[in-house]
Amino acid sequence: MNAAIEAHELSRTFGPTVALDGLSFELQAGEVLALLGPNGAGKTTTVRLLNGVLRPDRGGARVLGLDPVTDGEALRRRTGVLTENAGLDDRLTARENLTFVARIRGLEGRDGERRVDELLGRFGMSDRAGDKVQGFSTGQRKRLALARALLHDPEVLFLDEPTSGLDPAATRDVIDLIGSLATEHGRTVVLCTHFLPEAGRLAHRMAVLHGGHLEAFGRPDELAAELWDGLEADVDLGAPIDDRTTALVAALDGVTAATATADGVRVRVRDREVLAALVALLVGREVPVYGAVPRVPTLEDVYFAIEERKERDRGA
Amino acid sequence: MARERLHWPSIRAVMRKDLSAVGRSKAIVLPMLIVPFLMLVVLPTVIGLAARSQTNIDVSRFLSNIPGDLARPILRLPVREQLIVLVNGYLLAPLFLIVPLMVSAVLAADAFAGEKERRTLESLLHLPIAERDLFVAKLLTAFVPAVLLSWIGFVCFALVTNTVAWPVMHRIFVPTKLWLVMIFWVAPGVAALGLGVMVRVSARARTTQEANQLGGAVILPLIFLAVGQASGLLLVDIWIALVVGAFVWVIAVWLCSRGAHRFTRDQLAARL
Repeated sequence: MNAAIEAHELSRTFGPTVALDGLSFELQAGEVLALLGPNGAGKTTTVRLLNGVLRPDRGGARVLGLDPVTDGEALRRRTGVLTENAGLDDRLTARENLTFVARIRGLEGRDGERRVDELLGRFGMSDRAGDKVQGFSTGQRKRLALARALLHDPEVLFLDEPTSGLDPAATRDVIDLIGSLATEHGRTVVLCTHFLPEAGRLAHRMAVLHGGHLEAFGRPDELAAELWDGLEADVDLGAPIDDRTTALVAALDGVTAATATADGVRVRVRDREVLAALVALLVGREVPVYGAVPRVPTLEDVYFAIEERKERDRGA
Repeated sequence: MARERLHWPSIRAVMRKDLSAVGRSKAIVLPMLIVPFLMLVVLPTVIGLAARSQTNIDVSRFLSNIPGDLARPILRLPVREQLIVLVNGYLLAPLFLIVPLMVSAVLAADAFAGEKERRTLESLLHLPIAERDLFVAKLLTAFVPAVLLSWIGFVCFALVTNTVAWPVMHRIFVPTKLWLVMIFWVAPGVAALGLGVMVRVSARARTTQEANQLGGAVILPLIFLAVGQASGLLLVDIWIALVVGAFVWVIAVWLCSRGAHRFTRDQLAARL
């Protein structure tokens, strides 16, 4: 597979502030990358560098085989960007905002009009097409800005907080859309977001940035394997576990952690065999076991574990 | 910046967008129409009507305080004509230059600093438009309306002045050759100068208001004073008018080209 995005030691400072320091990663075509991190982590700077809006101080990148610094314009013809604030001109109508971008992208005349109408319809904005953006809600602005980013059917999409301000139904629609763009249409998506469940649903890979440094990059399950040994599982006992049973569980060979939950206990075990042995032990001691479900770490779990590790390292 | 040819469809698209947006902003459009109307229609009408009244207004005492070369041709005229020629033919010239200066400055502030204020700059920078095309589009968005409005304003001024003053003058006295130099050479230069100043100011300002305060309240009045003083000379001799106009153009082009060097995606995005 060809890498759609390659970044190598990408770095940028603004005066004394290091916005990005040595970012390196590779993303294949058709993959969704969740770019995560707290505010000021370097997510927006990364997007600006990858789309040739900023120039790196050090390192470089190739997006769709193009160098953002030297081939910026050619690259931007093939990428679509949704900025964190929708970036629409309030004084223009919804249609005019899209038509302007269509003209810049060479979609003139009837083709341009048709494409604008199609996207206004797709994002449920047809009835507001002739209204000034000034009176639009955050969600309507976001939908319009998404439509604008997709006007030219870009090969790479940079989406900064695509669902912030959207209601639950619109959020679901946007997530489904992003998912289908990647899986069905082979589009590569870089998704900057604070909404971890949304990232978890969409992302093939995740990158965690902190203070401009890349703390982790990879598939969520790979990163989970690096972070934790063994397997986590929820054992349903129908009620919180008592101290005596907790001690029994913790004493079993292969159990590395046991924490009481509302329905029983969450355990970390060496492997699936230990989980089976644990269930057998509890049943043998006449403790009712209603279920034992291995728990796959979510992207959210991985993210917070990385953040905690970062805090621990800083403390040390 | 790239040395490729300008991409006019993109330039037109940006101009069209900016002018459509400006056209809907009463706060921008009304001053751009009211100020020229007052200066180029109302004022010459009042002066013309005053001169037509029975009372002869003697301006010879005023003329004795201004340079001889400027006063002499007016003093040669009949007393009733002196007021009209002095005000409409001479004193309104520097005031006339407010129009291109104001319009270009206001539109430039909206085109450059306004993108930051409206938070539309970043999405613009992510579009496939060359920096030079974007810069040219923004310049033309301010320059073309400023010059057109000045010219239209001058046509109105000439019509009103000659019509109202006809019973006194019995001839068309505006435009003179010097006025034509003013309109076609100095006024566009002044528009470009206002533009150049606002391009530089807008690079640092975060809002249109900040740009207008910096450019409109501090720098442009100084320019206007200088140009206003010079315009007395402009109407003395056609060569002086041409030289002053050329000087204005040189400064304007220098300011704009300095602005163009700083107008890069990287520098603009770094200030977001």
